[in-house]
Amino acid sequence: MTALRTPPPPLPVRDKAVTRALSPMLTRLAEERATGVLLREHGTLYLAEGRVVHAESAFAPGLDVLLTAHGTLAGAAWQRAVADTPGPLQAAELLLDLGRLPAGALELCHLDALYDAGYFALAPSSSPGRFRYDNTPRLGPLPSVPVVALERETLRRRLLLHRLWPDPATDSAPLVRAEQRSASPVTPRQRAVLDRVDGVRTAAGIARNLGRQAFHTLVDVRRLAAAGHVVPAAQVFAHPAPPPPPPVTDPDIALLKRLRDALEAL
Amino acid sequence: MPGIDECLLEAMRLPGARGAALVDWTSGLALGTVGDAPGGDHETTAAEAAELARMAAEHGAFTAGGRPDDRPALEDVIVSNRDSYHLLRFVDTSFDSSVFLHLWLGREEGNLALARIRLGEMAARLVLG
Repeated sequence: MTALRTPPPPLPVRDKAVTRALSPMLTRLAEERATGVLLREHGTLYLAEGRVVHAESAFAPGLDVLLTAHGTLAGAAWQRAVADTPGPLQAAELLLDLGRLPAGALELCHLDALYDAGYFALAPSSSPGRFRYDNTPRLGPLPSVPVVALERETLRRRLLLHRLWPDPATDSAPLVRAEQRSASPVTPRQRAVLDRVDGVRTAAGIARNLGRQAFHTLVDVRRLAAAGHVVPAAQVFAHPAPPPPPPVTDPDIALLKRLRDALEAL
Repeated sequence: MPGIDECLLEAMRLPGARGAALVDWTSGLALGTVGDAPGGDHETTAAEAAELARMAAEHGAFTAGGRPDDRPALEDVIVSNRDSYHLLRFVDTSFDSSVFLHLWLGREEGNLALARIRLGEMAARLVLG
């Protein structure tokens, strides 16, 4: 007897016919080849001439975590580079310049971190983003990504997660093991994630603990959820949800609500 | 020390090389591409190759014989068809990642054995310098 299991759905391919943008602001910044910093609720994009040179998000481990977690780079070496430079991107460039890491490894890790943080930075938010024109970001020796390419990849990644398991609750909630143990097999990479599910850590926390890209961890967690291994922790410890507002019939308020929804969709 | 683009351009110098890419097999994203892709679309090719690579990387039948230092045992996935070869070479990074080099090789001009050895060397140089 061989263990048969349903194969996961195929990886989505970007639909080139659809030019739906995540936000009109991004399209405009790309068109005018803007240079500056885009601050959004879940992360920050650094743009130079319409290309993303660096991205940061509290939900994604940065280049420093990816490089130091498994000993690719000593923590002290990163700290020294950061102390000598204005920011993490420049620290990475300094490491490249000093030859502390092979160029390919650093480029790869930089792109991994950029797409990873970019995914969260472009997540739907409750407030509109702000762009600050600023001449500091510049095209450097490390690869950059056109803002439109990051946007399309982010949409493709959302679709990938949705196809794996349509409930996004496991992306952000603390995770617990399912009470009824699932018999579905677990891959070695998923096993490492599952071993860190403790009722407190979220997917982002597990990613940081493993020194892994957060999006990769979201993929594993959604697969584990689909296979019945993990569930989001019951919201019993969270603050109780506020009571729903009374139904509104005033057209002005209805208009304001539509406006709010539209802003949130940006 | 070669970067991603230099590595892909070096792969293109192999006899019969039609196209090459560096692909993440978890997300299906092409982190770098050069040359042609079957059907003219690197993105679709990357997503499809990533499926194949992930299947091989995640199934015990293909990963048995793991090394004692806990590094992955899997090296290549090779697909041959009447017209060409597809060579997927897993890149063993010291940091956590899931990437492979994908080389598309014309069957008439290509030398699979040579390409396999060279691609392995390129994958190592990419991340080890």
